[in-house]
Amino acid sequence: MELRKTHIYEFHAEHGNIVDFGGFAMPVWYEGIISEHNAVRDGVGIFDTSHMGRSMAEGPDTEKFLNWVVTNDVSKLGLNEGIYSVMLKPDAGIVDDLITYKMREDKFFIVYNAGTREKDFAWFKKNSEGFDVKLTDLSNKMAMMAVQGPKALETVQRICKEDLSKVGRFNIAKVTLSGLPCMVTRTGYTGEDGFEVYVPDSPLENPEKALKVWNDLVKAGAKPCGLGARDSLRMEAGLNLYGSDIDEKTNPLEARLRWVVKFKKPGGFVGKEALEKARKKGLKKIQVGIEVVGKGIPRHGYEILDESGEKVLGVVTSGGMAPSLGYGIAIGYVPPEYRELGTPVKIRIRKRLVDGKIVKSHPFYDDSVYGWKRDS
Amino acid sequence: MSEEYKTVEGLYYTEEHEWAKRIEDGTVLVGITDYAQKQLHEIVYVELPELESEAVQAEPIGAVESVKAVSDMNAPVGGTVVEVNEGLEDSPELLNEDPYGEGWIARIEPNDLDGDLLRLMDVEAYRKHMAESEH
Repeated sequence: MELRKTHIYEFHAEHGNIVDFGGFAMPVWYEGIISEHNAVRDGVGIFDTSHMGRSMAEGPDTEKFLNWVVTNDVSKLGLNEGIYSVMLKPDAGIVDDLITYKMREDKFFIVYNAGTREKDFAWFKKNSEGFDVKLTDLSNKMAMMAVQGPKALETVQRICKEDLSKVGRFNIAKVTLSGLPCMVTRTGYTGEDGFEVYVPDSPLENPEKALKVWNDLVKAGAKPCGLGARDSLRMEAGLNLYGSDIDEKTNPLEARLRWVVKFKKPGGFVGKEALEKARKKGLKKIQVGIEVVGKGIPRHGYEILDESGEKVLGVVTSGGMAPSLGYGIAIGYVPPEYRELGTPVKIRIRKRLVDGKIVKSHPFYDDSVYGWKRDS
Repeated sequence: MSEEYKTVEGLYYTEEHEWAKRIEDGTVLVGITDYAQKQLHEIVYVELPELESEAVQAEPIGAVESVKAVSDMNAPVGGTVVEVNEGLEDSPELLNEDPYGEGWIARIEPNDLDGDLLRLMDVEAYRKHMAESEH
């Protein structure tokens, strides 16, 4: 089957090392994962994220509809504010994680994952029955890229007419980039400050505008980064990857996403009853971060064991070498009694049992040194 | 395409892109090829074979890891691991810089070298194999 291409494919084909990522032809790296990772932690990088899902929801019932389909409370949003959330199946399994932005009282912009694009849009449609809301899938009509790092603001500002410092975290703004009407949100998937940039009116088959903004941002100093660095950066920040760390078999309490679930909001939400039941019953597993103390790199699917090495506690859902930290880290699930910080565990890495311990994982790094909260 | 990848005359190669080199004392140095290191790209960790462990031809004796991927290191020949390249523990990047030299992984005392070598490729056959792997 031919791979799907994004608006920026022409650039990737010329400069990147392309892989099949969930059916999309995407760059895993251009120059190398480590230098791209470091560019985002120390300076600024740019990622093509046009494979992600983007939809517009419009109509008098939009807010009511969204509040029914997601777990967080969308009614709390002010104009131009966004909120991170999950949506659940009736059995409380996670359909996807997503961000919704309030653009007008009756108009919200929704951004969700690449691998679940079709599934999510169908889910919106299905759950919008009975609500007066019109849903439009913009994924192929609007390019998306992420500019991330401590120098993201000054870099995007170089090609932007409006003052970007006025755009607060998780806010959305209509701006002019490279002379083109665009949107930006002060969000990302790296733990760093930055913007996600949307170029409307740039259909897949006619990507000139998208490429213009991309190339101008690269010229302004943003280093092109591939999916390899995107993964190592989000893992260090402790951010979930849908399909690995969270999925339809995991509920948000297990994934430590309690903070995005508003049980008391009026009208409830899809999956609320099952989730309340799960909460009362007590959780069988909970997400933790693990730092490898011995030698070795944990990977997706490796077993997590107790200190004796005799009892299997769970599995690693994301793992790898953390370039900014210099050791292996993992996100995984264990029974709640093993969740305490400092608890010694072992990870089975091929034939060996390697020492690890439960650590703070949101983020794994010291946030006074790295990430958007860092001391500047 | 395969011109991009260095090969060395006189070595023996596996389909999985490992190499073996006979040395005068009858032992065999083993490592991964230039093609293998370029596929993995920036190597950040090498799991060395255990000293004195038994190596079985075509079975894993260690692993080579980049940020993104893990690749088993299979033994090109069977025998006993008599030395490992400890320098790789602190400098795994040697595998990227010099896969046929400083980046050697282990030295094996073979137990059926003539038999094992029959199942390996010479440099010509390996170049052909790489060209076929590239598409």
